[in-house]
Amino acid sequence: MHSFAALALNGFREARRNRVTLVVGMFALALLGCTTLVTDVTVHTFYRVLTDVGLGVMSVMLVLLAIFLSSGLLSREIERRTVFLIVSKPISRSLFLVGRLAGNMLTLSVLLVGMGAVFFVEMLMFRINISSAQFVAIGVLWFELFLLSAFGFVMSSFSSQIVSAVVTTGMYFAGHLANDIYAISSRSKSAIIQVVGKITYYLLPNLSRLSYRPQASYALSVAPSEVLGSIAYGTTYAMALVALAIILFNRRDFK
Amino acid sequence: MPIDPLAPPIEVRGLSKTYRLGFWMSRKVQALKSLDLTVNAGEVCGLLGPNGAGKSTTIKVLMGLVKASDGEARLFGMAPRSKESRRQVGFVPENPAPYEYLTGKEFLDLAGRLAGLSGKSLDQRIGEVLQMVGMERAAGLQIRRYSKGMIQRIALGQAIIHKPRLLILDEPTSGLDPIGRRQMRDLILAERERGTAVLFCTHLIPDVETLCDRVAVLVGGKQVRQGSVKDLLTSEAPLFETVLEGVPLSQIHAWGYQPKYSKEIGDRLILRTSDQEAQSLVRKVSDWSGKIIQLQPVRFSLEDLFLDALTEVKDTVGTEIS
Repeated sequence: MHSFAALALNGFREARRNRVTLVVGMFALALLGCTTLVTDVTVHTFYRVLTDVGLGVMSVMLVLLAIFLSSGLLSREIERRTVFLIVSKPISRSLFLVGRLAGNMLTLSVLLVGMGAVFFVEMLMFRINISSAQFVAIGVLWFELFLLSAFGFVMSSFSSQIVSAVVTTGMYFAGHLANDIYAISSRSKSAIIQVVGKITYYLLPNLSRLSYRPQASYALSVAPSEVLGSIAYGTTYAMALVALAIILFNRRDFK
Repeated sequence: MPIDPLAPPIEVRGLSKTYRLGFWMSRKVQALKSLDLTVNAGEVCGLLGPNGAGKSTTIKVLMGLVKASDGEARLFGMAPRSKESRRQVGFVPENPAPYEYLTGKEFLDLAGRLAGLSGKSLDQRIGEVLQMVGMERAAGLQIRRYSKGMIQRIALGQAIIHKPRLLILDEPTSGLDPIGRRQMRDLILAERERGTAVLFCTHLIPDVETLCDRVAVLVGGKQVRQGSVKDLLTSEAPLFETVLEGVPLSQIHAWGYQPKYSKEIGDRLILRTSDQEAQSLVRKVSDWSGKIIQLQPVRFSLEDLFLDALTEVKDTVGTEIS
């Protein structure tokens, strides 16, 4: 636990001292602040516009950051050979991996909380009622970031940062289109396309299950069982990816 | 599982490593072949060899960074990847790369925590180590601002933070200026005084001569010599260098001598022969009215030993296996 905390806090410190994290964080907060300007072009739907733009900014910025941080997490350490100094300590490689991922998630969590706070302060400033769906959307976004980071993490354990980032970005879009891929392929007359579509659907993480932004925009109530199901889905998928990363990393030779 | 107090810090038997390279992993390169090595407590052992000799591969297997293809490596009688054995080991890789965004002090703190230290004892130990490696003044600077010598020192600091019983150092003095090299040597010797076993690899022969009790010479992945530095140097028959004038090399051969080394410079001839041959040669040259300019024993150095070993090995180890 002691070593785990040291690794996680070090990961957080790395992100904090990374200019990219700082710039993205500041930019996101500035953008969130600017969403108040959008209210000038709308007359009645303050709630919807603020929620749409606010949650959209949070999601895009944090997803970009999650991809950037996770895709370079291991590959950078391996390329620079920093990993030699750390994995030679009396810690398992699995602990090193999980500690690094925890550091990443700690960074994203702090930013998510900060952005969430700015978002709700804005809502209060305009005296707009806050709905539970907004909390759900922000909370479940954390699990989407976790899943995305775990995927970037797996890629990073055996490929370069650029390859990891490109594949993880592709996976993000494909994951949000998983339902459409399934629907389109099932309408095809070709049996092969139907099978390929089904396999793709089941292999890809269904990220639309982790997006509650539409419900938040329309202040729709969300059943707790549905939210818990989505969280369980995202967590299980991410844990499976972390397990895969551990297997790959444990087998790896550092030449 | 507790470590065996009687087990040697390093025990390697028949260690081999073959790397698989290429996209399909179809190319095989043998980096190390059947290495046997033991390093005892309080001993400084040097792995000497040219580039590609398998020195770093040996160290990487010992540190669990690569898996051996064959044979066995044990640290204190345990597998290299076990936490118990790692607790006893400090490691400095070749061209160490600590986290650049941390200060030297923060990096030592992280290394200490990963080695199981905490609280006041860690703070106190960090202070001691910074003093030992001469980095107190630069401790608050980010590592990205360090020179190569400073990085090498902080890397050694992280290796000794938990008072290990074994230090494994890969080219610890490479890239250092003469003062830095001297300080690094002093630090290694101080660790030996403390009873720490040290294994380090280098291609710098003066480092081995200054620091090592024992040496293993690797060439092309094969161990070609091993023993104490003293034994290796005295095992070779002493040679005498004779400088003659007015005697051609053909005449030396005609007398039946086969010198180990010969060179003609103008009408001078430089020969290296055994003690007995040198004595009879001097008599024959005098009888032949030749002139003896110089006669002196030749000190056999590690460099000679190393060069001899290099010429002996003409194997395919270290090259691609078809």
